[in-house]
Amino acid sequence: MRRALLLFMMAAGISLVLWSGWHNLSERHKAAQQAAMQVTLVPDNAAIASDASTPDSPLRGKPAPAFTLVDLQGKNVSLSDFKGHPLVVNFWGTYCAPCKLEMPWLEEFSHKYAAQGLEIVGVTYDSEVGKDTIAKDTQKLGVTYPILLSTPKAEKDYLSDSEVLPMSFYVDKTGKVIEVTAGLGPKDALEDMVKKTIASGSAQ
Amino acid sequence: MKRLLTFVSAFALLAAPAFAQLGNMDAAPKAKSYVVYAAEPQTVAAGKHGVLNLRFHILQGYHVNSHTPKSDFLIPTALTLQPANGITASAPEYPAGTQFAFSFAPNDKLDVYAADFTIKLPVVATAGAHTVEASLKYQACDHASCFPPKTLPVQIVFTAK
Repeated sequence: MRRALLLFMMAAGISLVLWSGWHNLSERHKAAQQAAMQVTLVPDNAAIASDASTPDSPLRGKPAPAFTLVDLQGKNVSLSDFKGHPLVVNFWGTYCAPCKLEMPWLEEFSHKYAAQGLEIVGVTYDSEVGKDTIAKDTQKLGVTYPILLSTPKAEKDYLSDSEVLPMSFYVDKTGKVIEVTAGLGPKDALEDMVKKTIASGSAQ
Repeated sequence: MKRLLTFVSAFALLAAPAFAQLGNMDAAPKAKSYVVYAAEPQTVAAGKHGVLNLRFHILQGYHVNSHTPKSDFLIPTALTLQPANGITASAPEYPAGTQFAFSFAPNDKLDVYAADFTIKLPVVATAGAHTVEASLKYQACDHASCFPPKTLPVQIVFTAK
């Protein structure tokens, strides 16, 4: 009887090891397939399929991390300066083509939704290129909302170890991050996100 | 024997979750490099003009700016060579890029390398084995996002006979 029990335990143990190996392999295949789907290149003339993704940011649903960053005029700008306003914090880089497609849209929304209190700030990820280059770029893009210079702390607080640009954080008027997007999405989707940010926290 | 069997069974039961954990550690690695140098030993004629073919592989789903991107704000792909004894290298010859547009701005054409590409390096070298240290600067994007500029160390190994 004891021998039978021991044999049963051995068989169960070995089965469990085999099953966990198979399960693990299957999960890895799924993860690899998902990763491949996320980086599908859309060449010129191909069907439009790209979209901004919503990364698994730990900030979603949390208060936006406080920051005090320097703008292009050398003035300190803090998160607290936007208290009570819906705010989009948009990380961008001078080398980033999709960022530069998105920024004029943000500029447009900053005017369109100014009456609802919308504020937008751009945070330059590659601030080491210097204020002059950044100012030249933003001027060319017609951007008039505040452009701030990033710091390692701001990047750690907002981006963690991600280096994807553009990345935007939608902060409602209560100071809570209600959504995070990475990459360029359709203009309509961006506007919907802005409207959602304006509407969030209204009843409080 | 019975003790051995008991031990084996207990080990199998306890170890199963640990094996699963080990397997998951590399389940979703973060891509921090987007271009790989396909190093291959090459041979040129000693003391004569020769050409080294430097092949680079771009990870699937990404592209990098070509050496001549269409906008001055974009960072071009460029190879920088360190001086090496017995070798005279001319300016690298870059392949032409292909046109690419982000789907939300189809009129803004970019000039990119979106697959494997080869840079040709004209050299004149003395007889013997040579190694040239070089670096490739590039800036990668995918279909909707961009990543910071990277510098890939490249070791060019060849023989002049």
